Amino acid sequence: MNKAYILVVEDDLPVSNLITTTLKAHDYRFITAQNGKNAILQASSHNPDIILLDLGLPDMDGVEVIKCIRSWSNVPIIVISARSEDRDKIDALDAGADDYLTKPFSVEELLARLRATQRRLNVMQNQTLNMSSIFENGELRVDYAAGCAYLKDEELHLTPIEYKLLCLLSKNVGKVLTHTYITQEVWGSSWDNDIASLRVYMATLRKKIEVGEEPLQYIQTHIGIGYRMLKIE
Amino acid sequence: MRNSFKLSKLPSWKELFYSLLILGAATLIGLLFSNLGFTEANIITIYLLAILLTSLLTTSRWCNLLNSLISVLVFNFFFTEPKFTLHVYEKGYPVTFVILFIASWITGTLAVRVKEHGKKAAEAEMLAQKEQLRANLLRSISHDLRTPLTSISGNASNLLSNSSSFDEATKKQIYSDIYEDSMWLINLVENLLSVSRMEDGKMILHMQTELIDEIVTEALRHVEKRSFKHIIKVVHEEELLLVKIDARLIVQVIINLIDNAIKYTPPGTEITIHSKKEDEWIVVDVTDNGAGIPEEEKERVFEMFYTGNNKIADSRRSIGLGLFLCKSIIEAHGGQIELLDFEPHGSLFRFTLPAGEVSLHE
Repeated sequence: MNKAYILVVEDDLPVSNLITTTLKAHDYRFITAQNGKNAILQASSHNPDIILLDLGLPDMDGVEVIKCIRSWSNVPIIVISARSEDRDKIDALDAGADDYLTKPFSVEELLARLRATQRRLNVMQNQTLNMSSIFENGELRVDYAAGCAYLKDEELHLTPIEYKLLCLLSKNVGKVLTHTYITQEVWGSSWDNDIASLRVYMATLRKKIEVGEEPLQYIQTHIGIGYRMLKIE
Repeated sequence: MRNSFKLSKLPSWKELFYSLLILGAATLIGLLFSNLGFTEANIITIYLLAILLTSLLTTSRWCNLLNSLISVLVFNFFFTEPKFTLHVYEKGYPVTFVILFIASWITGTLAVRVKEHGKKAAEAEMLAQKEQLRANLLRSISHDLRTPLTSISGNASNLLSNSSSFDEATKKQIYSDIYEDSMWLINLVENLLSVSRMEDGKMILHMQTELIDEIVTEALRHVEKRSFKHIIKVVHEEELLLVKIDARLIVQVIINLIDNAIKYTPPGTEITIHSKKEDEWIVVDVTDNGAGIPEEEKERVFEMFYTGNNKIADSRRSIGLGLFLCKSIIEAHGGQIELLDFEPHGSLFRFTLPAGEVSLHE
């Protein structure tokens, strides 16, 4: 697998150094930008595979950068946020970011996100190649056309809502989906009760697909933010 | 004065009722005095006393003004010739009325002002106490920050200037010291962020219905690195225990309780997180089978800056913020936190949270 080409957008030099040192140590190729305008320019001229974007840039709001890049490109964007309030992460995700890291983050965390995003990238490329109606992930298989899901080749008995959630997650594998996004997609609204229902259905869905002594983890919970399906290698 | 008038609220019905009651009583006493043949000066004094009393009982300046006016009219009606009319014969009376009005107005205003001063003094004292708390917090933190910062900057500077003279083992030790100390700082900052959400002793909560299972998992994810020498078990009595909480804060509570258990017990100790539903509450127990906490210290563990007398197992620093925060957070949710003994030995931190509800729609 070719290592991804990464655009690092970070105005704080020590943090930028930390990221680029880590990338260098793991044979990623990268370019850097220190502000939003430059980031947009680099993104359009160098065509990176993944963008690491700090939300607190000196010249413009990180969410605006995401919106601008999203207007022409689907490149995965991982936002880095120093603010521990969830709101700006949710805004960034809703604007089209794929994942987030909260400062202070560990080097392992950064690398894990990059690997997850790279897998997402591969899935996205395959999807466009085959226009496949079957989704496969680990022991899980979803046949969109037939409206069925299988675990280890055995058909899963899912409720309509559970199946809807599974499809939504698998079609966005690797991407963090916010509570609001999911409830809007499934119920068309996002009241408090929808989010509470979502938790229950997500828990029952997980019980059905994450079974056994040491179950494979397909669905990741992001407290206060949303859920994500992990791509299993 | 004019401004304070505008700011002063209109009197409530209760206040009006009290004023009328007192004025009525004053009038009755006045009538008694006049029957006994006392001079009008005595009656006027009774009215002034009545105004003073009402001003102490009510808070509105409007009420005060109204009282002054009414007392003048009542005095005119009952006690000046011709009685039981608002007319007067004697030329001196209008002057008496004006003076009575002004005197009662001033008396009332002064009384209101005295009361406001008292309130302001109490507020100022509260503010001073809060400032004191803030100052204590700041001093304690700044003091405790010095140690890890000294270690981090010192270690880094050593590496910068003479890293070539260190052998691999020494270097490894230095790296891990820097890492440990910065992790300690990160944890402290998380707690401080929670403190910063407290205002006037109240927490600003973002309540949502959550699964306690997910909250515990999230908390464990944060303590993973620190907990590898301890055995951590999770038991949920029922599947799908829903709680209505501020997720981030409760994650912090569980992190702090586990951290506490790790900090004060030797490696190999078993830590259990157990949750169950009891009526409208979810009860979460965090237990360890360590040495336990002596009876005389139990009362104090939730106090701010209390760090206990016993030596911490791995000499890690503690600033006595964690458990204080746990208590504040749990109480802000309307729950309770207590420290009990775990049989046969060890400690049990038990806290309650409001159970969540959901009506599932397909």
